[in-house]
Amino acid sequence: MDPIKYFTFSMIISILGIRGILLNRRNIPIMSMPIESMLLAVNSNFLVFSVSLDDMMGQLFALLVLTVAAAESAIGSAIFVNTFRVRGTIAVESINCIQG
Amino acid sequence: MFNLFLAVSPEIFIINATFILLIHGVVFSTSKKDDYPPLVSNVGWLGLLSVITLLLLAAGAPLLTIAHLFRNNLFRRDNSTYFCQILPLLSTAGTISMCFDSFEQERFDASESIVLIPLPTRSMLLMIPAHDSIAMYLAIEPQSLCFYVIAASKRKSEFSTEAGSKYLILGAFPSGILLFGCDMIYGSTGATHFDQLAKILTGYEITGARSSGIFMGILSIAVGSLFKITAVPLYMWAPDIYEGSPTPVTAFLSIAPKISISANMSRVSIVGSYGGTLQQIFFFCSIASMILGALAAMAQTKVKRPLAHSSIGHVGYIRTGFSCGTIEGIQSLLIGIFIYASMTIDAFAIVPALRQTRVKYIADLGALAKTNPISAMTFSITMFSYAGIPPLAGFCSKFYLFFAALGCGAYFLAPVGVVTSVIGRWAAGRLPFYYIRLAKRMFFDRPRTWILYEPMDRDKSLLLAMTSSFITSSFPYPSPLFDLTHQMALSSYL
Repeated sequence: MDPIKYFTFSMIISILGIRGILLNRRNIPIMSMPIESMLLAVNSNFLVFSVSLDDMMGQLFALLVLTVAAAESAIGSAIFVNTFRVRGTIAVESINCIQG
Repeated sequence: MFNLFLAVSPEIFIINATFILLIHGVVFSTSKKDDYPPLVSNVGWLGLLSVITLLLLAAGAPLLTIAHLFRNNLFRRDNSTYFCQILPLLSTAGTISMCFDSFEQERFDASESIVLIPLPTRSMLLMIPAHDSIAMYLAIEPQSLCFYVIAASKRKSEFSTEAGSKYLILGAFPSGILLFGCDMIYGSTGATHFDQLAKILTGYEITGARSSGIFMGILSIAVGSLFKITAVPLYMWAPDIYEGSPTPVTAFLSIAPKISISANMSRVSIVGSYGGTLQQIFFFCSIASMILGALAAMAQTKVKRPLAHSSIGHVGYIRTGFSCGTIEGIQSLLIGIFIYASMTIDAFAIVPALRQTRVKYIADLGALAKTNPISAMTFSITMFSYAGIPPLAGFCSKFYLFFAALGCGAYFLAPVGVVTSVIGRWAAGRLPFYYIRLAKRMFFDRPRTWILYEPMDRDKSLLLAMTSSFITSSFPYPSPLFDLTHQMALSSYL
């Protein structure tokens, strides 16, 4: 029963992250928050499983995923800042130059 | 102990070379004494040199004899990874040599963006022999990160930044799903190494005990990988990304991740989870990709978008070879990938070479046969090879793919494949489909204004010569390719 509670909690956060990516209507830089939330949920999942399985690989994996998530959010911010610099707006509707 | 370093010496070399190139580019292009030289071509040629050196290192590395040291670690090197690593390196070298002309034309002066091409190359080299979920994720993720940046590398262009942000969202989402899959598998089995997974999942379908955690995990890994190679139900913005990025970047994006992630996927599915493979999902994605590739590029008016759609369709054909789990399936996958890589390099080398201002629309290609007959012939050879016309390599690869699919019992998939490839090829003016239509426009149309193109530069013409001769000679003499891929397929099953 014990790992399932924590696993459910992480799953809810992950599903909220997926929902955030797919249903974003506000502005573009907010998109990086649900991505981070998904990675965070999976990270805490790894830690939960590592404790319940008594195995170190989960914690190792969580540490590495944390590093990669940090790098990804930095790159995401850089791309979004550059997008704003070119366009002058951060509304989601402005990303429609490429049609078809 | 020193053998470990010797075994990963190609990766160590490329990491060092990338950082030295980056530092060299930044230090010298901001030095006031030398009057701030733009070092793009310099760093580009050095990058090409380092990739070719890497190719020599990877080809001559003495690691097959010490592969037994790595059995319990993250990588497994055998014949299939050896040859499979050479192909992305060749494609990368071809892509870098495509870049030089476009840098001159657009007066692009950021030397750092060249560094972003060897960096995912090192990830590809690490992804192909990866035998552990950790290694797989740690190789897929930085590769994708480099691709996001390089897709947005034209900083002042709206198209490029839009392509970059779309690629970020399209790429981060499947990375999350892939990681979720690794997580579920780890949680349900406690194993991250594919050998351990192979032992655990051996009797997966036979016994009645199906763990839903393992099923979710394998499904999520498959879905995440399919997203990344832009399989059809999950290809949201891929044509937009391919159209908006700068053209050599599009070439890189169409070839390199497809090769490495297909190799990785085949390793996961065959070594790691042979019992629980989701064959139906891969079949469905292949069929849908083939249908999309044949139909969706009909109404396109630009040049890069049907190339993107046709690359998605062709990867669908290739995935049929992967969907059947047999040795012929893997062999046809590898043959398809070799031929696909050379065709795509060919196609993407011609498109930026034909520039007066910029070739964006198909109508600009009108009457190419009269002004540049050799370019027209090369382009039509490439297009006919994509369509699968017999005396060229595309027919060879498609034939073998359908042969392998029939051999494993996919009786629905092979006729669908044949029909869609015929639709893509069916010409003669009743319903002009795009491959033949491009050729028709090139040879038979008379445009309203004649467009004169500059002559192609030396690097691209060499690349075109090599790839088109490979395409035309692959049908009469395919046996080196077949032997090579058979050896690769056999060793990936051991």
